[in-house]
Amino acid sequence: MTSIREEMWKTRGILFNFAVSDLKIRYRNSILGVLWSFVEPLLLLAVLFIVFSTMFKFEIPNFPIYLLLGIICYRFFQNGTTLALSSLTNRSATITQIYFPRSIPGLSAGITSAIMLVCELGVLGIFMASFQFVPPITILLLPLVLALELLLIFGIALPLSVLNVKFSDTGFIWGVVISAGFFLTPIFYQFDMLPEMIRNVLQFSPMVQIVTMAHHVVLYGILPSVNAVLYAVGSISTITVIGYLIFRKYQARIAEDV
Amino acid sequence: MSDYAVSVKNVSKKFNLFHEKRDSIYESAAGFFQKKRHSEILQTLDDVSFNVKRGEIFGIIGRNGDGKTTLLRIISKIYSPDSGSVDVRGSIIPILAIGLGFHPELTAISNIYQSSILLGFNKNEITKRIPEIIKFAELERFADTKVKNFSSGMQLRLAFATSVLVDPDILIVDEVLAVGDINFQKKCLDTIMSFKKRGKAIIFVSHSMGEISKFCDTVMFLKEGKVGNIGSPAESIAAYQEYLAKHPEINPKKNLSDSV
Repeated sequence: MTSIREEMWKTRGILFNFAVSDLKIRYRNSILGVLWSFVEPLLLLAVLFIVFSTMFKFEIPNFPIYLLLGIICYRFFQNGTTLALSSLTNRSATITQIYFPRSIPGLSAGITSAIMLVCELGVLGIFMASFQFVPPITILLLPLVLALELLLIFGIALPLSVLNVKFSDTGFIWGVVISAGFFLTPIFYQFDMLPEMIRNVLQFSPMVQIVTMAHHVVLYGILPSVNAVLYAVGSISTITVIGYLIFRKYQARIAEDV
Repeated sequence: MSDYAVSVKNVSKKFNLFHEKRDSIYESAAGFFQKKRHSEILQTLDDVSFNVKRGEIFGIIGRNGDGKTTLLRIISKIYSPDSGSVDVRGSIIPILAIGLGFHPELTAISNIYQSSILLGFNKNEITKRIPEIIKFAELERFADTKVKNFSSGMQLRLAFATSVLVDPDILIVDEVLAVGDINFQKKCLDTIMSFKKRGKAIIFVSHSMGEISKFCDTVMFLKEGKVGNIGSPAESIAAYQEYLAKHPEINPKKNLSDSV
């Protein structure tokens, strides 16, 4: 364990380099270039916003901001894990030709998605201004909530990247999980609206916990309860540790299987 | 201890050769109940030991598929051995293919950065050496071109130039130099000689017995994954040729012809 941590520390500069080159590759040959990282979420959020704010009329105060914030939190998770999924398989040439810590592609996918998140938060800011919404002071806690989410993304990115090398249907399974997760997370509805039985199950989802905390600090000025925070930190740390162990089990053979 | 740069001790490596590859979760689950083996085990390396000293050019010869590239990958940490150990003293750069793990969608300069940073070299040091690398690779006009548009010779030049100018302690060159033209091959071999003079270790794989006997100090003949002979170039080449003569059905004559 120590040696991997040392290795990570030595090579932390690579993470950022990798994340930036991921973005460059992502927007290659495009006219708007990096502007896409701003325009794409803007267009997508506009579409989702129109759909959900006209078709589902829930009695949620500040529904536009509520909806956008949930979508942005979820897209952060979706982008990070999906990029991580193919991060090793996409770099098979590099992996079979030189040695570098195999955790780098998966972790840098998390960083790439964090850079994209910053652009989307800019879009959220624009929406807030246009709806003349003044957030409560607790919005300053949002970065902490998102940092917790980044930890969750890292914890899932590592095993996902290596499982996709080993099993080629990991991608299909994860695609279903991501699609289902969007509807099982309180993004366009409120958690209280669900029947109690379903709530009892879904409360274990770390994304439910994160999106709920984000709504609380950005919209309602409510500090998350100590219990809720401890619970989220505990479950996300557990996922991350398990994810790391899965990664460690398979990592030695990545170059042979990729 | 002795003044070695690379020490390989009793390294063995097996591969599962999948005849029908079972690589989805469904197939694994289904196969779990069938208990039928779909793979056979291929012993690629068997108890290989040798040392490479500083200031030495160490040649490896042997047939295709007898474990040369697997051995180089184990030395470069890309594969981990099943048993045995590898001790590498100093920074190491392997040129195993006509690239250095280049990403086709990145430009020549971005790839120089990415590969050398991944290999653990300092970014500021690389920045200073970029013009030299581009000049050595003779790619002045193509520095901002994506590597996917490069010919294999150009990729090899970029890989070799990057490798030698970031100045590793140990350089591994698989049988790729043949891709370059005669002038560039000469430039590479001259550089390898100057590396040797500066006390660096070079591991060199080639099918050109002329190059092997001209440049190498010690040569290992790898015979079906085992050490066939370690000694002077003349000895090992003789052992290799004797082996090929005994196995005429697998004797590709062109392997022995000298290209330089």
